[in-house]
Amino acid sequence: MKTNIEDKSKIYYNPYFGGVVLGLILLATFYFTGRGLGASGAAKSTVVAAVDKLAPEHAQKSAYYSKFLSDDEHPLNNWLVFEVIGMLAGAFLSGALSGRLKFRTEHNPKITTKRRLIFAGIGGFFFGFGSQIARGCTSGAALSGAAVLSLGGFITMMAIFGSAYGFAYFFRKLWI
Amino acid sequence: MKEELFASGRNIPNVDPFLNIWHWQIPLYLFLGGLAAGILFFAGLFTIMGKEKEMETTVKWSTFLVPGALILGLIALLLDLKHKLFFWQLYTTIRIESPMSWGAWTLMFITPLSIVWAAAYMKDMIPGWQWKLKLLDSIEKWVNENRKLLAWIMMISALILGIYTGILLSAFNARPLWNNPILGPLFLVSGMSTGVATIMWMSKNHNERKILGKIDLLLIGIELFLITHMIMGFRAGTSAQIEAADLFMGGQFTVSFWVFVIVLGLIFPAIIEILELTGFKVPIAVPALLILIGGLVFRFIMVEAGQITRYLY
Repeated sequence: MKTNIEDKSKIYYNPYFGGVVLGLILLATFYFTGRGLGASGAAKSTVVAAVDKLAPEHAQKSAYYSKFLSDDEHPLNNWLVFEVIGMLAGAFLSGALSGRLKFRTEHNPKITTKRRLIFAGIGGFFFGFGSQIARGCTSGAALSGAAVLSLGGFITMMAIFGSAYGFAYFFRKLWI
Repeated sequence: MKEELFASGRNIPNVDPFLNIWHWQIPLYLFLGGLAAGILFFAGLFTIMGKEKEMETTVKWSTFLVPGALILGLIALLLDLKHKLFFWQLYTTIRIESPMSWGAWTLMFITPLSIVWAAAYMKDMIPGWQWKLKLLDSIEKWVNENRKLLAWIMMISALILGIYTGILLSAFNARPLWNNPILGPLFLVSGMSTGVATIMWMSKNHNERKILGKIDLLLIGIELFLITHMIMGFRAGTSAQIEAADLFMGGQFTVSFWVFVIVLGLIFPAIIEILELTGFKVPIAVPALLILIGGLVFRFIMVEAGQITRYLY
């Protein structure tokens, strides 16, 4: 089997088209699972499962962790966990189809990979923390919430993007 | 605190409400045995076809893993025994009608064979390798002169080993999930698929990987076909069998079976392999690893779920 595959690694979807597709996926998610999608929830379930495994007593006592623990179901037995596994699989397929399957860290050429990873880590930490206070991240609260016209969804979305605009100035050296 | 009352008294872990005496050791062994059988089968097959040069990883390098896999598997089996020091009693009898006896003797035969097969390629593996004993040199010479004959023996015993990993379970007539004739071929094909995935992962030769990729796709297809028919067979059976199938069709093993075995362990790696065959660049480790994990999870689920199913309540 011989096929010539041209280099498509720099061709991305039009963001507006991508947005519409994402909306349709969200609609399909509501139809099939009866609830929205999310991303931070899977990370949370992983943390809960790990804490429950390593320090079960602490997990039971903690007001936060105990909310997500039950006797009949493992914390990882959650639709968001499987959704994220599917997301990884889909991203892998998409990367393979467009010839982008390479290990690399995308960053501004003026900064080092290490710097980029450190700041991404710090940002991820704050975002993960914030998403738990807001009861969801861009996908779980903003996207899925706004889709069902939940006021919290809109507030979360404005808070996320508003604070991003506000803080962008201070970290602009990382990108420009 | 939640209070629980047992009116029936039927809650004795590992004994009642269902007997659960096989733990991680058995599925791990079934996985390693199937993997070893898969590698040895294709090493034998391509030797008989005279493709030692084109399929070097299949015929030579991958077989170095087999003794390790078999020995680890045997250690797992030993750990499962209550009276570990009595293991040798399996070798005081040959019982044609007992799958366990077949398995014990096949392992007794195929483990040294796999060691000899790989050891005779030692000089190719490590240039300048010398055996300390003259006897080993002459054994190596004999093996290399009689590769084809050994390949036949190895291929056939690998088939017996592979199919035995399934028949070991299907011989349990008190467990409806296991007690079906498809389990033997299914475990054989699944073991072969994990073997091929391992070789594919090791191989650096593009052509060899392509041939193995096509074989693996075929094996995945057969596996899906057998699984479909196994479930259809259960659904058309008695209520005990329907209940056995229900464990995978809405019961407690539904998610692990469909997500990790069928989708991530078979269909998804098959799609990636098709992409690779059509010229897309994909790291082969990904489908190989997924197939291996899928095969392992499949055996864990089958052993675990099988012990829950029964005829009498």
